[in-house]
Amino acid sequence: MGGAFGEFSGLIPNGRSAGEASQGNGLDNGQPNTMRIAAFLLLLLVFLLGCEGGPADDKADRKLRVVATTGMIADLARHIGGDSVEVLALMGPGVDPHLYKATQGDLGRLRAADIVLYNGLHLEGKMGEVLEKLEQIKTVVPVSRGIGVDRLIDHPEYEGTYDPHIWFDVQLWAEALDEVLATLIEADPANRSYFERNAEAYRRELAELHKWVRQEIKKIPPERRILITAHDAFSYFGRAYDIEVRGLQGISTVSEFGLKDRVDLIDFIAGRGIKAVFVETSVSQKNIRAIVEGCRQKGHEVRIGGSLYSDAMGEAGGPAGEYTGMVRSNVNTIVNALN
Amino acid sequence: MDAFYIILTATLIALSCGLLGCFLILRRMAMVGDAISHAVLPGIVIAFLVSGTRDSFWMMGGAALLGIFTTFLIEFFHKRARLQTDAAIGVTFTWLFALGIILISVFAGQVDLDQECVLYGEIAYVPLDLWITESGKVLGPRALYIAGLVLLINISFVYVGYKELLLTTFDPTFAASIGISISLWNYLLMGAVSMTTVASFESVGAILVVALLVAPPATAYLLTDRFPALLAATAALAVAISAGGYYLAAWLDGSIAGAIVTVAGVLFGLAFLFAPRHGLLTRRWRQRRQRQALAEAAAGYRE
Repeated sequence: MGGAFGEFSGLIPNGRSAGEASQGNGLDNGQPNTMRIAAFLLLLLVFLLGCEGGPADDKADRKLRVVATTGMIADLARHIGGDSVEVLALMGPGVDPHLYKATQGDLGRLRAADIVLYNGLHLEGKMGEVLEKLEQIKTVVPVSRGIGVDRLIDHPEYEGTYDPHIWFDVQLWAEALDEVLATLIEADPANRSYFERNAEAYRRELAELHKWVRQEIKKIPPERRILITAHDAFSYFGRAYDIEVRGLQGISTVSEFGLKDRVDLIDFIAGRGIKAVFVETSVSQKNIRAIVEGCRQKGHEVRIGGSLYSDAMGEAGGPAGEYTGMVRSNVNTIVNALN
Repeated sequence: MDAFYIILTATLIALSCGLLGCFLILRRMAMVGDAISHAVLPGIVIAFLVSGTRDSFWMMGGAALLGIFTTFLIEFFHKRARLQTDAAIGVTFTWLFALGIILISVFAGQVDLDQECVLYGEIAYVPLDLWITESGKVLGPRALYIAGLVLLINISFVYVGYKELLLTTFDPTFAASIGISISLWNYLLMGAVSMTTVASFESVGAILVVALLVAPPATAYLLTDRFPALLAATAALAVAISAGGYYLAAWLDGSIAGAIVTVAGVLFGLAFLFAPRHGLLTRRWRQRRQRQALAEAAAGYRE
């Protein structure tokens, strides 16, 4: 009897009671499997962490590779770099940078880049944090870096939280140009004069554009200079060109707008007799359409004045496929609808 | 090397999620990961209001607190209000998410603040987010260490509490009768789930984590009837899904998380049709064979 018991207890791990053993045995079988796989993977990890480092290609015999997050930044780099750089934008036309989803190839594009340009000020969200870290191993520049804090629009309550949509103030965007120019010169000093010449020409173009926008907006009678859009992207535009701006959504395109916000906005539109509101190419039109409908029920006819390029440019090759074209298209849409 | 880092991170997270997911699907709590992904919103807003920054550290802290609070509430409603777990999960996370939206619209309407842009990471950038020491030594992707640590904690947890977890999952009455506290182990499991999900959200994004908690264990569940085999099959699926998903994304130049979840779904579909015992088609073939055998036997009898 004693011998039989001894044999039995040998089968039971950790001297558990026989009652538990019938379950316990079955349970323990699979555990080592999972454990072994996990242990193997961890070992593999430790082993492979040791052999870091990829092939470095020769920079000398090819163009400087610039990767930008948004189309606007890519456009800047293209104008300054001209033929001596190869520019790529990660976010295509009509893409909302707040909600951009990276693809497998983006990683390779960032890896292969000599220079990475991004907007900063949290426009790229979590991706901005990654890019900030990438700065330690690569030339990564937020183009908003050179702009003085006093010229940024900040949140009234939270310090250090700025509106990222700087490209709508053409003058401010010209300062981003300086940042890009400095970056390119540092990466390729041999082309310094070429870059500077390009930058000078483009700076003149931007200055002209700034003047033009100012004149165009002035054509709208002051009491009608109210721009209502789907989300708060146009604050810089409003400040620079003296037009009141109201956004239906906050800066984030995810946050919902409140019922009271909606009622207030409808009252505001009806009260001021506003003729048109605007939709954006990279934000859903649903909410702004609800406002139009709400106004109609109050007996005020407001129409959709057109679609504005806010966080992304138009199709490449089209009229809004370049920064200047995008601004012109926006301004024409606004002036035509409000005048 | 990039491919390796991404696949390895995905695999480690898939193993963590799968390990916990096996228990979750058996407890009918599979959607708790989805619940946490929504319910962390007020935590993020509160962390922002307290700290004034959108730094990952604060966001993760706020999210982790809310994650634990969520699982606590779910358990509480389930036990005290006698709600079914799915109803408890549904009530809790929608309420917390709504609270977060209200908080944003009241306090932080002008700040770009939501899980998508301050908490959820992107698996494609795992190799770029390096852990670099003060002295400038590059130690590899940060997410890899987080995922490894999380997996280690989970394995230790399941290893130590294996018997208790299993008994409270399969036979709570018996577990209680031999003195195992059902709620204690429930809370521990939920705590592990919320730690795993929040840490993984930060590294690789939400959709991937939610899917990995459910899809591999659910697929494995169709393949086997034994719990240890369920764990082993889940682990194998975790590796296959991560690698398969990565190469699908590479081939399509698409979102890696999306591709991994797609592969997980396809494998589930295959298991649904062809699983050795429970598969739809395998069952049908078996029935047809049996009918044939029966018909032959009957014919033989008549002769």
